Amino acid sequence: MSGLRGAVHAKWIIGKVIGTKMHKTAKVRVTRLVLDPYLLKFFNKRKTYFAHDPLQQCAIGDIVLLKALPERRTKNVKHELAEIVFKVGNVIDPVTGKACAGTRFLESLTDSESLTEADTTYLSEKLQELNVSSTEK
Amino acid sequence: MPMKGRFPIRRTLQYLTQGEIVFKGAVKVMTVNYNTRGELSEGARKFVFFNIPQIQYKNPWVQIMMFKNMTPSPFLKFYLDSGEQVLVDVEDKSNNEIVEHIKKILGKSEETLHKEEQEKKKRAHPATFGPKKYHLRECMCEIEGQIPCPALVTLPKEMTGKYKAAMKEKATS
Repeated sequence: MSGLRGAVHAKWIIGKVIGTKMHKTAKVRVTRLVLDPYLLKFFNKRKTYFAHDPLQQCAIGDIVLLKALPERRTKNVKHELAEIVFKVGNVIDPVTGKACAGTRFLESLTDSESLTEADTTYLSEKLQELNVSSTEK
Repeated sequence: MPMKGRFPIRRTLQYLTQGEIVFKGAVKVMTVNYNTRGELSEGARKFVFFNIPQIQYKNPWVQIMMFKNMTPSPFLKFYLDSGEQVLVDVEDKSNNEIVEHIKKILGKSEETLHKEEQEKKKRAHPATFGPKKYHLRECMCEIEGQIPCPALVTLPKEMTGKYKAAMKEKATS
């Protein structure tokens, strides 16, 4: 009586990968906000899910989107990896499409405009040295 | 004795039920990316602080996740059941503007909510008694003006079942 993807209640979930030691399976921690009945405040409640990752492309710390499988794959694996939302160390800002780290864009570090005066003088000195050495030879 | 915390009104049932956003059935996951510093994220921070509890209260089956300081620009992302993803840029928007925008694109409209409420009222008959899940009240003793619950206040002897049975027996014998 599995019905239309009735194997599991959560059809789409987002979580953080906490383990990749299993063969083609990622261990994902999913947090949901649960209301404490007395304090009336929401707290994160965590639950671990196992997701099928056929290409073993997940690393620990990735934020991934999981999709429920139509039926259980093994005793514990009921989801599969739909997409990696944020790859750890390689986050791409969806609004601009550029690579970023924390609150800074990474591309701007290589622009020549962001170089300070000291940097430019240092670089030009180095260039001059190179010129001298090439004429000597 | 006042409530503890910065804006403890956020932790009252009245505030939580005042939330206006009820998501359509297709919305499964909501992700908020914002920064803890910076003027541009101010609206997003206020949104997370004030409005997320209301949204989660009204939509208990939507997974809401918050990410801090991952990207320079703040945004919201919704993952729908069809696999579609909706990206909402909230840079330089106030928290009320964000709420209005979300309500317009992914919230159930006023009429739909009204219709659902009417249907719920129709299905539940107010004059019946039973479990809280299906009925308004469980027992007649809950109503003011009726006899209090015999579990708390013993009935007068003439109204107890054993007395009435004894009287009946006496009458027949």
